[in-house]
This record gives sequence, C-alpha cells and structure tokens, in this order.
Amino acid sequence: MSEADITSLRSSGLLAWLNARYDEPRGQTGVAWLDSRGHNAITTERRYRAHEVGDFMIWNQLVAGPDQMRKRVALAMSEMFVVSFTNFTSLYPSCLIAAYWDVLTAHAFGNFRQLLEALTLNAAMGNFLNTRGNLKEDSRGRRPDENYAREVMQLFTIGLYELNPDGSHKLDAGGKPVETYSQDDVTNLARVFTGYDLDSLSNGGTTTAVSWERNPVPSTHLATNPMRFVASRHSTSEVNFLGTKITGTTSGQDALHIALDRLFYHDNTGPFFARQMIQRLVTSNPTPAYVQRVATVFGNNGSGVRGDLKSVWTAILTDEEARAMPAASDTLFGKMREPIVRFVQWARVAEVTSDNGEYEIGDLSDTDTMLGQSPLRSPSVFNFFRPGYVPPNTAIATAGKVAPEFQLHNETTTSGYINFMQRVTRNGIRDVKPGYTALLPIAHDVQAVVDWLNLRLTANQLSSETLAILSTALTTFNITSGSSVGAKLDMLATACFLILISPDYLVQK
Amino acid sequence: MKSPKMAGNALWTRRLVLQRAVQLSAMGIAAPLAINLAAIGEAAAFDATDYKALVCVFLYGGNDYANTVVPYDPTNYAQYHQIRAGAAGEDQAGIALARADLAATALTPVDGAVLTDGLQYALAPQLVGLKQLFDAGRLAIQLNVGPLVQPTTLMQYQSSNRAANPLPPKLFSHNDQQSVWQSDGSEGSTNGWGGRLGDIALSAGPSNSQLTCISASSNAVFVAGRDALQYQISGSGAIRIGALSGPLRTAVNSIVTRSSAHVLESECAAVTRRSIELEGAVNAALGGVTLTTVFPGSNPLARQMRIVARLIGANATLGVKRQVFFVSIGGFDNHNSLIADHQRLMTQLNGALSAFFAATVELGIADKVTTFTASDFGRTLSSNSDGSDHGWGSHHFVIGGAVKGGRFFGTAPHVSIETDDQVGQGRLLPTTAVDQFGATLAQWFGCTASELPGILPNIGNFSNTNLGFLQGG
Repeated sequence: MSEADITSLRSSGLLAWLNARYDEPRGQTGVAWLDSRGHNAITTERRYRAHEVGDFMIWNQLVAGPDQMRKRVALAMSEMFVVSFTNFTSLYPSCLIAAYWDVLTAHAFGNFRQLLEALTLNAAMGNFLNTRGNLKEDSRGRRPDENYAREVMQLFTIGLYELNPDGSHKLDAGGKPVETYSQDDVTNLARVFTGYDLDSLSNGGTTTAVSWERNPVPSTHLATNPMRFVASRHSTSEVNFLGTKITGTTSGQDALHIALDRLFYHDNTGPFFARQMIQRLVTSNPTPAYVQRVATVFGNNGSGVRGDLKSVWTAILTDEEARAMPAASDTLFGKMREPIVRFVQWARVAEVTSDNGEYEIGDLSDTDTMLGQSPLRSPSVFNFFRPGYVPPNTAIATAGKVAPEFQLHNETTTSGYINFMQRVTRNGIRDVKPGYTALLPIAHDVQAVVDWLNLRLTANQLSSETLAILSTALTTFNITSGSSVGAKLDMLATACFLILISPDYLVQK
Repeated sequence: MKSPKMAGNALWTRRLVLQRAVQLSAMGIAAPLAINLAAIGEAAAFDATDYKALVCVFLYGGNDYANTVVPYDPTNYAQYHQIRAGAAGEDQAGIALARADLAATALTPVDGAVLTDGLQYALAPQLVGLKQLFDAGRLAIQLNVGPLVQPTTLMQYQSSNRAANPLPPKLFSHNDQQSVWQSDGSEGSTNGWGGRLGDIALSAGPSNSQLTCISASSNAVFVAGRDALQYQISGSGAIRIGALSGPLRTAVNSIVTRSSAHVLESECAAVTRRSIELEGAVNAALGGVTLTTVFPGSNPLARQMRIVARLIGANATLGVKRQVFFVSIGGFDNHNSLIADHQRLMTQLNGALSAFFAATVELGIADKVTTFTASDFGRTLSSNSDGSDHGWGSHHFVIGGAVKGGRFFGTAPHVSIETDDQVGQGRLLPTTAVDQFGATLAQWFGCTASELPGILPNIGNFSNTNLGFLQGG
C-alpha cells in the first residue's frame, strides 16, 4: 500500500476507499504487456513458445502495475479457479496464461456468472482441463472427457457436500454430510462441454507461414479468443445433472447457459466461494456467521443482483471480523501469508524497478533456493494448498482448525525462503532491483526505518521482542546521514529481511 | 495403537514420554535428537534390532492402470485394443499401445499362475528395468487394489443402502482419494498409515523420533503419525540457513525461532526450529554415505529417491531402526495426450525405481527396504478420444529384496467395460483393499496382527490380512 493509499484510506474511510478502487481504471493487461515487449512476435526467437515470459508478465502485473486491489483479488481467484501454465505444450503458453489472468482482472469487479462463463470458454482453461478438443461420445465406445465437468463442480462452484448458508455441512438423518453430485452427474454434465476447440481465426486472427516452423504460426488470437463451438462435435445426448434436464436438441450455447446457471444459482455457490475468498484474503478459519454474511451478499447485493463481486469484496473486507483487532486470547485468528504475497509485498515496499523493463523474475517455484511458490504455476488444479489442509501434529490440528498455507511450509521451504529473501532484499533478481527510495533519506534513523516498515509490512503487528531484536541488529550498522548509499542499502535490506522472516510477519492477523 | 502385547501401564508411560517430547519440541525446547526410550524398558512391539524401511512412491493424478500393466495375450489384447482404440487391430491407435511394442516387457510369472481369462500381462514398454526386477524375483504386482471399507460387489456398490454397504468417501476425486489412499480419510486428515507405522516403530524401542517419517516430496499426510512428525528433506539434503553463520546469526536465530502465544506463529516457528536443529546432523550423516549408483538426471522422482537411498545409507549414524519414506511424481491425470505423456512418466518411473533398487543393493540393504507404488486412483479403460478419466482400483508394484517377486497377487480384472468387476467404463471395483495392501507391508515392517486395526482401520472387515507378497511378512 502506497503513502497515498494510506493517506486516502485514513481520510475517507475504508468503504469510500474501496469504492474508489472499484472505479479506478484497469491497468495494462497481461496480454498487452507481452505484446508491448515483443514476446508474442512471430520471429526466429520463437518467444511465442517460451514459458518464462509468462512469469515476467505476471510478476510485472503484481509488483509494478497500478490497480492493486483488482490484482489482489484476481490473485486470490487464481487460487480457486486454478490454471497452471507449467505444462502447456501449445503455442503461446505465456499469452494463454496472460489471457486467463486478464479474464480474472476483467471480471474481478464484475459478476461471478459472467466470470464463470468467461473462464469456461477461456483457451488456457480449455488446455488445462481439456475442454479444448473435447468430443462427443461415439458408437465405438468413446466417451466425453469428464475433467472440466468434475472440477467446475468440485472446485469452482458447489464443492462436494451440500452446505448451509453459513458454509457448514448439511447433515442427513443419520448425521452424515450429503454429497452434492454423483459420478452420474459428472458423466452427464461432461456432454455439455463437448464440441469446443481453440479459435485462432475469429476477431481478426491470422496465420503466418514462416520458414522455421513446419506449420503456419497463428496470431495470438489462438490464446486470446474464447474457444469456438463446433456443433458436429457436440453431444446430442440428453443431459440430466443435479436435477436439471437438458434435452438433446438444445443448442450448445443454450446447454452451456443452462448448466452454468444451474451451478451459479446452486445454494452452495455463495458460501463455497465466500469462505475460500475470506481464507485467501483475511483468515483461515472464519466464523460461520462471517461466511454467512458474505454469502448473503453474494446471493443479493442489496439491489437484487446475485454474484456481484464488488459487493462480495466489500463484505469480506469491511466485515467486523476482518476489521476488529483480534483479542489477545484469540490465538488462532489470521492466516499464514503465502510466499507469493510476501515477495510482492516486499517488492512494492522496496519500490523495485526494472532497468530494462523486462521484469525477468522467473519461475520461483524451486523450494531449495527460491520462494517455493510462483503465481499461475500451481502443481495441479487443486492449488498450491487446499482450503481444508490441517497441518499434522500441531496445536492447529488439536484445535480442529485448518491452515491452508501451511501445506507449503516445511523444513526445506522455510530455510529456502529465508535464504532467498536474504539475497533478494539486497540484490533483487536479475534486472529487478529494490530502490528503497522512501527509506534511504531516513536510513540513519533506525527507529524511523523500523516504524515505517512495521506499518507497511505488518500493520504494526511486530512483537516488542522482534522490535527489540531489529533495533539491536540495525544499530550495529552505524548508519549516519553521511554513510554511503551502499551501506544504507545494506542496512535497509537487512531491516526488510529480518521482518520478512519473522513469524510476526509471516502470520497475517 | 493399543497393543495387547504390552502391559497397559508401560505402554502409556512410553506414549506419554513420546507425546511430551513432541510437545516440548513444538514449544521450542529442543528435544534430544534420539529419545532414549530403551531406559523405560519393556517388551518391544516388534524386534527392532535390525533396520527396515518402507518407501511409498505416489503417482499423483491417478495412474492409467491399463497402459501400465497391459493385456498382452492375443485374445485379451484384442479386447483392450477394441475398447481403447474403438476398432480391432494391433497397432498403436487411440489410447491403445501397439502389441509389438509390448513383446519385450511381457511377463511370465515364476509360479506359472493362470490369471483371469488366461490373461498374460506386459509392462508398459518403458518399464524395462521393472521387467528385469520381475524376472529376478524382486518385483511383484498387486492387481486391482484400491480403497474399500469392506469387500464390495457391484450390486453392493449400486445399492442405495449405504449404511449396509459403506463406500470410501468422495470416490473419483483427486485430492480426497490421495488422502484416502494415504490416510483412510478424506482431505483434512491429520495422520496416515505410514505415520501410524512410525508411531508403532517409535513405541517399540530406541529410534530417532524426528527422522522416522520422512517426505522427500512435499508435505504428505501419509508420513504424519499421531506422534511421529513428518520431516521433509530436499533432494539436495537438508537446507542450511546461510544467515545463521554470518554476522546476523544472533538476530536471525532469535527471530525465526521465537516462541509466541499465537498458535499460527508458534507452529510456523516450530518448523523452522526443527529445520535448524536437524540440519547439521542430517547433512553430516549424509556426508558419510558413498553411493556410486547413478540415478537418471532431469528426473524429479529419481532425485527424491536418491536422497532416500542416501538417508537409508546413513541409518546407523542417524540412529534409526525403522523408517517410512514418501516420494512422489506428478502428471498422471492423463485426460489428454495419454500416449505421449504416460510414456514420459513411465520412463521416469522406470529410471527412478531401477536406480533406487540398485542403490539398496549397493548399500547391502536390499532385503531391508520395500518400495511400493500408490496413486489417487486408476482410470477408465474406455477412451475420451486421447485420454482416460478418473477411476478407482489400479495395479501397483512392490519392489525389494524381501518381495516374493515374479508373481501377481490379487485378482486380475476382466478386460471389459461390462463385467461386474468394474463400475462403468472400466473403472475397476477393487478386489483388494488398500488396508490389506498396507497390512501386508506393516507386518513385514514388524507389526503384529493386533496392531493392524490401529494403523489400517478397515482391516477387520477383511478375512485375508496378509496378501503374501513379502517374505517373513
């Protein structure tokens, strides 16, 4: 959060500040950025086959762009409606993932229903969950691919069990949770998602014959166009799922709308989405009442609109449970900050810049020497961590609570992260260097530096013990206003490093 | 966990000591590296004077059983090809492998057993190392194993009376079936049967409590016990925090290990503390191990299995008698591009498992190490054009010097999408339960029959608790 943000938030209040964020123009898109850097150009460099520029794209979006509120919620949604480009073998892996990311930012302040449809038809999603090229059944025993049908229900909308409005499980007469769908529902719904394929030609798409590729190279429309529908490949079998019937003569587009409406209007979708977004943004274990308050807004934003995302974010962030300082006795409130968020937060506080505009921060997934997590590179559609993850043999487990981000926390990643942050806080990564421009003028004043960082990195939640350790460690640098810039940067990097590895910081409360 | 073999008081005393040690460790008080339980003195649950290790190789995504252990005899191959390619033939087509490509890995069991419908199987063509291990009697194949609460027929599966015919939770769902395979419970489970085996091992005698259950993959519930902690290690060994040897060492150490009243902060720091405490001992012990076996490069599974082999080589230095390891390889959710992607995965699996077995031979410990595969689920036999969908039962490998290899165990399923050993599209209805599979491994590891229900909760519903694929098991 910038100086200006803090000032305006203090003067106008949270609600007005949020509304101003919703009205902010959207910054440059991921696809536009790739284009602007020539990464989509059809040249012998073949950057249209490169994955790494996709990493550059998303890091640029996260550490450098304006419209941070939009990016933050898009990142949260990228961990629910997961697409990972790590194993993309198609042309334009980076443009594909950029177009997916752009769907999230485009709809971040829009409506869940439109977002769901845009994601369903997105080319990257089609690649990832196999709607792309999905064919109807045939007389020789071929069956529609069930991947998207299953995951759109299990992960994106309704989940596995019937939910009460507060997100708790509905129980049957025998006290058991009630499953939302059966294998039969999956097999039926899969028919709806047949007949789709990549579309390189609509909206002005072209192909270019080049000497170095066997086949003509399509334009980026391949990645940015929604998938096209081919009626002859679409199943005309009747679909019966979740009590809804779609007759075989229904058009593909109508079938899609009926199916997505069924999921959108399902009683589970509000609480299922609300709980996970609260977990991503505020706390791992929201009270059922908090979930219900947000789910209620999902159901109706006050003007009769279901799925209005702006209202959902406002409900999440202005809720009393998010706003009130947790009581000292509430020793389970909050969540571990995930590594991506730690890195981005540091990068913005340190005011990183790229000397060549490339933002060559690559894939940071390596656990031994890097972050152990990198945006849009989840190992599977089940995200980097599960909303129901319980770290074994902990007081968290004993208390019956979950702590999703702990799924990434172990003896290797904790040490790998510490080593990584020590290097990065001083040296940056490749062309991306920390400026510490706001801090350099006050570097001789240890207390001022610590106060400045404590506010921006932890909302003043560093413990007195950590503050004392910081103060002692930083004082030994003996920085005066006349010290060299290098010496000042050493000290400022150390200040950031020590905060970023402290449990006080690592747990957002 | 209760063991009737042991006097109740002594058991609880020892368990309390263990729990106390774990609690102390979690609170930031360093537990001694090896907790000396021998001093408490009582009969061991099993004779743990020797060393034994179990290694779970998890194939994340749900391995396609039909292209891993493939029907090869002409009749059954014809069925397989018809279903997977939608037409008769013996060439590669659809998601069917070419029959000629299977000749070199066709399997002839040493006991001359005749399988269902006269089936002869071949391994995926890339599994040449595993074929050699089968022929050498070091690899057995467990047919159609998967999660079951109790023996279940197709009619019982289709019954609406779930109370009488219980099924494992959330069948066909990746994350849940991964968890069910590893722990008998769906997502959110906090201990797995590997970890529970670790608990038994720890209660049996002196061993290093913190290095009994180890994941060389990411965090896995399989190796979390009720008491036993998962220790996670990188392929390159324990990661040392560089700043702990520099000028910032005091500040860094104080900050990252600081105890806190906030539970999340406290647990966050506990992991870092454990990382620091064990790093020196682990890396020092690894430094004393020479291993000349070459593991294939650019193979994430091989990298994990190499560190497991090195840790096993260091077992005496580390003071461990029983260890349970977890390694994994992802990418098996082959809805698409099955032929190409599965071949690549089979190549990696073959390279890693072959090298690992060779390493245990080099260490002179092959008969003390048993490796087995596991996966979310099997997949459909039928095709969705170039891939297969989520299934249930699957075939799995058991490898080691103690394995009664060159044999098949369990019941071969018909090559069919209509028979009553599948629940549609060739999703196999398991005829062997994960609990039986695990119980067989557990008994070889040293558990008594009475200890099994504490480890594998459904085992009491099955009459056969030892499938027989391990010698002396």
